[in-house]
Amino acid sequence: MKLEMGYIDIKDIQFGAESKVENGVLYVNADEVKKLVLDNEEKIKNVTLDIAKPGESVRITPVKDVIEPRVKVEGRGGIFPGVISGVDTVGSGKTYALRGSAVVTAGKIVGFQEGIIDMSGIGAQYTPFSKLNNLVVVCEPVDGLKQHEYEEAVRFSGFRVACYLGELARELTPDETKVYETCTIKEGLEKYPDLPRIAYVQMLQSQGLLHDTYVYGVDAKKTLSTIMNPTEIMDGAIVSGNCVSACDKNPTYVHMNNPVVHDLFEEHGKTINFVCHILTNENVYLADKQRSSDWSAKLCKLLDLDGVLISQEGFGNPDTDLIMNCKKIEAEGVKTVIITDEYAGRDGKSQSLADADVAADACVTGGNANEYITLPAMDKVIGTTDYVNTIAGGNEHSLHADGSIEIEIQAITGATNETGFNNLSAR
Amino acid sequence: MDFQIITNNPKVKTELEETCNVNYFEISYREILEKVRDMCHGGYKLLSHPLSGSVKPNETPYKSVMVSARKGNADSESIHIIENCMIAFDKFPDLGNKWTPSVLDDFQVIDFYLISGAVGSAI
Repeated sequence: MKLEMGYIDIKDIQFGAESKVENGVLYVNADEVKKLVLDNEEKIKNVTLDIAKPGESVRITPVKDVIEPRVKVEGRGGIFPGVISGVDTVGSGKTYALRGSAVVTAGKIVGFQEGIIDMSGIGAQYTPFSKLNNLVVVCEPVDGLKQHEYEEAVRFSGFRVACYLGELARELTPDETKVYETCTIKEGLEKYPDLPRIAYVQMLQSQGLLHDTYVYGVDAKKTLSTIMNPTEIMDGAIVSGNCVSACDKNPTYVHMNNPVVHDLFEEHGKTINFVCHILTNENVYLADKQRSSDWSAKLCKLLDLDGVLISQEGFGNPDTDLIMNCKKIEAEGVKTVIITDEYAGRDGKSQSLADADVAADACVTGGNANEYITLPAMDKVIGTTDYVNTIAGGNEHSLHADGSIEIEIQAITGATNETGFNNLSAR
Repeated sequence: MDFQIITNNPKVKTELEETCNVNYFEISYREILEKVRDMCHGGYKLLSHPLSGSVKPNETPYKSVMVSARKGNADSESIHIIENCMIAFDKFPDLGNKWTPSVLDDFQVIDFYLISGAVGSAI
């Protein structure tokens, strides 16, 4: 399967009379965007739009999702198949992205947990989304709406706005084009007989409402482990419905730009044969864990893989799936590298994961989520800081009178991302 | 029904006690884990992950765990998981948070959603 990704670089974002992209500036007609949200979502009673640019003294909180605007220019299907577009296999043809921009959805879905994006200061260094020109969509629910219904309404609204902006790229000429191509099993064996056969096992957050991920619109907790072409994610085959654990959840933007997939493509045909993308889940019911990890290992064996990278999403419960996958895949004779983050205490000295095994002897970490920092006050807050004391990593002393916040980095969106889509590094 | 739910979440009691075997206790999150640990050592099998949800154990006061309805031989996998969960629990410091009723309600809802997912798989 072959996908041509065209990147149109966005250097600025502004509200304007007409939505368009001109000379690298994304102009947004706010009335059209509000109408788009309200006309399609009766559970939302009011929408507020704002803009947050890199370097500004702006704090966005509570953040629910971050989404990159894209459009399908050629080939089967459309962006977000089974969610916004019809169900059709994506990942081939031509897709354009408004690189450097994002739709950020925000709203008080639950009274804790959702994250912080600071556009400047030390906090900005911890979140990759501070580098983007963000259109922030704050959705207010109709009265009496249940939390999971509110989450769904905000989720769909974010995707609609991202597709609306992505459509502005359809007739443009990309600043950069990259071609991603994978082989069939037989082609790969013939073309790269001497290269190790490597796959990516991605564990999708699927613990329950407000902790969900959707694949082609299907709730991942109701799926068996399966395989995809790695290019399918670039058209939005996987989307986030996850509201919890800001630092190590995968916003939809991360699914679309998953660095494990992109890095494996960089090495494809050179040092490895990137065979496929294996999806599995992280359910709370232990028999589901058993079944899903059995299937991941079975697929690895069936595909005659030499090695896999395994990434998890979240803390605690997923650690058990991570170790089950690692142990069972290694037992099939397939080498594993696990990608996780750590809750190692503020001094970093505690055991990092809630499970462990000797088979997990190759590990990449996204950082220690318990690291404690102070975020300076910002001139402007988009959303509300009413909940800062009660989001993950916050406490009753978190929010100071001057607007500064003392907090564990687990409160920052994307700070310790477990696909490596973050800024922390030992380098 | 081959399972029971050990919980300190009043919402789980209210919503599920008519359809499931719910054992509700007015005890802490850690005491729920202790109770489940003792049950696992006594031969009950763990059926849902005790650290379900990405809400950290020092944030939410609520926890619901599914275990087998009947005792059998001690299950080493169950004991391994619950013991590791207790080690993980103890490394989160008490933040001394005083929750508002609406936040407490959100925590109850999250825990209820999580255990409902396990119930959906179990029946």
